[in-house]
Amino acid sequence: MSDKPAGKIARILLLLGRLALAGILLFAAYAKMKPQANMPWTVQSVRVSLSMFAMQVDSYELLPQAAVNFVAHWLPPFELFLGLWLLSGIALRYSALAATLLIAGFFAVVVRSFAAGLEINCGCFGPGEKLGPWTLVRDGSMLAAAIAITVGAFVLHRRGAARDISMGAASPERAGS
Amino acid sequence: MKTLGSKNAPVVMEVFTDYMCPACKNLFEQTLRPMINDYVASGKVLLIHHDFPLNIPQHVYSYEAARWATAAAEIGKFEEVDGALYDNQAVWSADGNIEKIISGVLNQSDFARVKKLMAGCSYDVPPLFKLTASGEAAAGQSCSLDTFIEADKALGNKVPVTQTPTYVITNKGNRLAPGAGYVSWPILKQFFDSLN
Repeated sequence: MSDKPAGKIARILLLLGRLALAGILLFAAYAKMKPQANMPWTVQSVRVSLSMFAMQVDSYELLPQAAVNFVAHWLPPFELFLGLWLLSGIALRYSALAATLLIAGFFAVVVRSFAAGLEINCGCFGPGEKLGPWTLVRDGSMLAAAIAITVGAFVLHRRGAARDISMGAASPERAGS
Repeated sequence: MKTLGSKNAPVVMEVFTDYMCPACKNLFEQTLRPMINDYVASGKVLLIHHDFPLNIPQHVYSYEAARWATAAAEIGKFEEVDGALYDNQAVWSADGNIEKIISGVLNQSDFARVKKLMAGCSYDVPPLFKLTASGEAAAGQSCSLDTFIEADKALGNKVPVTQTPTYVITNKGNRLAPGAGYVSWPILKQFFDSLN
């Protein structure tokens, strides 16, 4: 079924979406960890950047200090891991699902902060970006794309599995593999 | 002029603020005040206050408050007036009677000096305040304090400041990306410590 033109197009769209989502996550991780000002890439300079990101997380006034530190120091490496996972294409439906849940979390926090009238920086792609309507549009679009990729990955996986089963029924060798 | 701490401090924190902004009050009371008592007092951080009164209807007395703070800075009483304006934000924001707050925090002599500096400053803030090329108040502007406020605003526009509070941290001459909104003292302190 996926060999039909519509199936091919779906696979191409899924590939492009996956690469785009991976790129966004990798850029988000890079922007949060990159050294500030003229500092070189060192463990110390990344520590400074993550401490600066902690200030942005704190400005959402949502988490206690320990949780702020946990999020600030683990979110960028997790985004990096997730970006690489998506890029690899391994178990795509699960990496896409994880990305969707992460972006949904971001979206909920951003909507809540905007509705509360907090005048802060988003912190989504490093320091300096004001949280505003554009942030909501962008994060909402990213969430919609992530959902589409997740659904697509699950659907194509199911179709692939169904095809394997049907081919397996017709071919004893395949059924035995 | 509106600075606290040692000029030799390795870290400089510039804060662009509006005296009627609730987040600015929170930042001052919960974060900057403990910072002043700790890292500013010990020479680790130089704190620079920049006025950035927002030109919005809800902040009708912001510019006037900035004038009082600037006048107090002229006689070396900025810290007292700055704290009093934030601590009593709800009081003077309701009726615009800032003079009453200032008179309560300064002695008679200092208050008289501040009042003298405020002479000529009309209550209404000039909406189209312009500076001349040399940075002086344009003709027709009688409040000399406005020159300092407008200079602060011009500096803020270069950052650019799009919301208050906005802070810019410079570490050993390296200026970092600006931050905005409230940040708690423990998290800010942790950031300062990471710079060492």
